[in-house]
Amino acid sequence: MRRVLSALLVVASIAIDTAACKKADKPAVRVAAAADLAFAFEQLGAEFVRQTGKRVTFSFGSTGLLQQQLSQGAPFDLFAAADVTFADAAVRAGACEAASKSLYARGQLVVWTREGGPAHPATLAELALPAYARVAIANPDHAPYGRAAKEALQRAGAWEAVARKIVYGENVRQTLQYAQTGNVEAAVVALSLAVATKGGTVLPIDPALHAPIDQALVVCTRGADPEGGRAFAALVNSAEGRAVMRRFGFLLPGEQR
Amino acid sequence: MQWAPLALSFEVAIAATALAAVMGVLLGALLASRRFPARDLFDALFTLPMVLPPTVLGYYVLVSIGRSSALGRAFERVTGSSIVFTVFGAIVAATVGSLPLVIKSARAALESVDPALVAAARTLGASPLRAFFTVKLPLASSGILAGLMLGFARALGDFGVTLMVAGDIPGETQTASLAIYDAIQSNQDARAAGMIAVLTALGAAVLYAVNRLTRLRNER
Repeated sequence: MRRVLSALLVVASIAIDTAACKKADKPAVRVAAAADLAFAFEQLGAEFVRQTGKRVTFSFGSTGLLQQQLSQGAPFDLFAAADVTFADAAVRAGACEAASKSLYARGQLVVWTREGGPAHPATLAELALPAYARVAIANPDHAPYGRAAKEALQRAGAWEAVARKIVYGENVRQTLQYAQTGNVEAAVVALSLAVATKGGTVLPIDPALHAPIDQALVVCTRGADPEGGRAFAALVNSAEGRAVMRRFGFLLPGEQR
Repeated sequence: MQWAPLALSFEVAIAATALAAVMGVLLGALLASRRFPARDLFDALFTLPMVLPPTVLGYYVLVSIGRSSALGRAFERVTGSSIVFTVFGAIVAATVGSLPLVIKSARAALESVDPALVAAARTLGASPLRAFFTVKLPLASSGILAGLMLGFARALGDFGVTLMVAGDIPGETQTASLAIYDAIQSNQDARAAGMIAVLTALGAAVLYAVNRLTRLRNER
């Protein structure tokens, strides 16, 4: 039995070794990216591999959650936040380089309703109607698109009525998924996700109703390959990268209305 | 169908089960020994991970092995990498969930061994340690094995603590349960389907095998 125990220990150490070493063989550039970038960055990722031959992996989540993880030491090479204040917070926490900060896009907010769903709103305020039994927004506490959605609903005078039937998504991608699967009647999400999602109706929300969603990225230093992070940042801000971002409905720095 | 997250899940679960086996049998044996003081209190403490929410467990793990903890700092000084947000974090997260299952089963299995058999070994001159390893542990082995299988299945499926402690980094810490969560969020159900099927089949197989093992023990 003692032999069994030592055999188990050997198995454990081998498993830990292979799990740890295999990852070290082919280091990928690790990008922590706001959930609204899910579709656009997947496409840029393929372009990045073509240009540099380097692998890149994305961890999509709410900007606030990713900033928390970065501050606790998560080994990312680049942080693409959906809101510039979170990029600043990651810099203050010592996880990312202040000098590398750049604005790369401004996000647009839309209402997404499923085709074949009970109703499609003509204005944001219509979400107060009973036809919309449940409305999803991202959690305003840590997701910039959720914060903007709440603000827009407040300024449109619909928050009082909508607040009772709100469902919070952990991030904006999950928020859209609630509507896609028909579990809520409408979702307030990022245009960048809506354009890549079939089977829905999109109502743009007047940007004057909320503070601008200025998205910023910063190169981070606790990952294995900050230079890779820098290279991906350069791709996002290159002519090619901007073309992709524009296709996904982002407004770009220097060409905003 | 993605194989990498499943493969990582298996590696993490094997490592976690091995760690839980060593610690769990040791702690189970301590709890099964009548001379151990306040053993029901300790039993409750060791069982806590089964009833606490993953967020609470994740918090404790972050506090105890995070980058600002003594343990986390020592690990980082020696290996150059932190425990959190690496595969080591995923292993710790999976171990936390499976350890109580192993402890519980080991304690029950060891307690069910007829004390007369151990006493007989002692009268024949075996030291307490030798009697434990050559008589008690082999007699309890099917119960312990059942606990290990449950622990393995639990480790394979951990989600909450892994997400908090290891993050969700594809190819590094993205285990199958995290990859499934990601795939469903981005509405790529097809990508999740294979992993869902494998995890479900495996869970059912483990439970079936555990039932068989338990019956084997009861019949003996």
